[in-house]
Amino acid sequence: MAKAFKNGARGITGSLASAERKLLRELFSDVITVLDERAQIHELPEDLDPLYALTGMRPESATLPEPSDAAVKRLLPDASEDQEVADEFRRLTEADLIAEKISLLRRAQLLLETEKLVLSVSEAQGFARALNDVRLVLAERLNIQSEADSERISQLVDAAKVTTSEEYLGLVYNLVSWVQDTLMQALMSAER
Amino acid sequence: MEIMTAMPDVISNPETVKAQDKAWRLIVWNDPVNLMNYVSYVFQSYFGFTRERADQLMLQVHHDGFCVVRSGSREAIESDVHAMHGFGLQATMTQEA
Repeated sequence: MAKAFKNGARGITGSLASAERKLLRELFSDVITVLDERAQIHELPEDLDPLYALTGMRPESATLPEPSDAAVKRLLPDASEDQEVADEFRRLTEADLIAEKISLLRRAQLLLETEKLVLSVSEAQGFARALNDVRLVLAERLNIQSEADSERISQLVDAAKVTTSEEYLGLVYNLVSWVQDTLMQALMSAER
Repeated sequence: MEIMTAMPDVISNPETVKAQDKAWRLIVWNDPVNLMNYVSYVFQSYFGFTRERADQLMLQVHHDGFCVVRSGSREAIESDVHAMHGFGLQATMTQEA
């Protein structure tokens, strides 16, 4: 069973059972896959001036379509209600945001190699961000749109009572929420 | 050395300049996923707000549905929005009317 994260002399420590670590690693992989798929859309046509590829800049003509997957939209939201501002922002910064997220998710996977986790503040912050991205994607799959939805899902805590795959997903969501919550409490106490 | 006798009329329409100078606002929106302590921690660690201030803003997001966290130049707010998206918060920017 998972043990809550605590802040102590050695850093932020917690422990996760082997099955829990395996599950979390798979969840991180799923989010990486979702982001990788979006990154493919960023590939520029081959006949384009190679300078663009070199600088990583995206020409104004190469607008990015809005994400079709709602989970991707949640990970990479519009930066403005003004569509013109949002589109430009997406064109110029979305590739960087995807790369940042994937890098944090990969690092989070590596932190799960051992049963006992000993994290620095910066590692814990990165881990919390990766867990948050997992929760955003799961929430979309569970169709959590309101506080009432999230309240309903939070009732699912007993694995023995779970019968459908949606309920199982809810259980997983609650585990990730719990891990993130205890991690935040440890980080908060590290700040003082 | 040339002596300037009058200000060159390069910018003929001061109104345009004014519109460009208007500050941008960073808005963080409520969503039913992000944990309250996570949002507060992000406000503390990224903006350097005190725990009290961060909690106050987080609760405002929670109760009102959104909160103007700060305002500044377009570049500064763009970088804030990017950072908030990095943390997984729903954030947008808007220019002051």
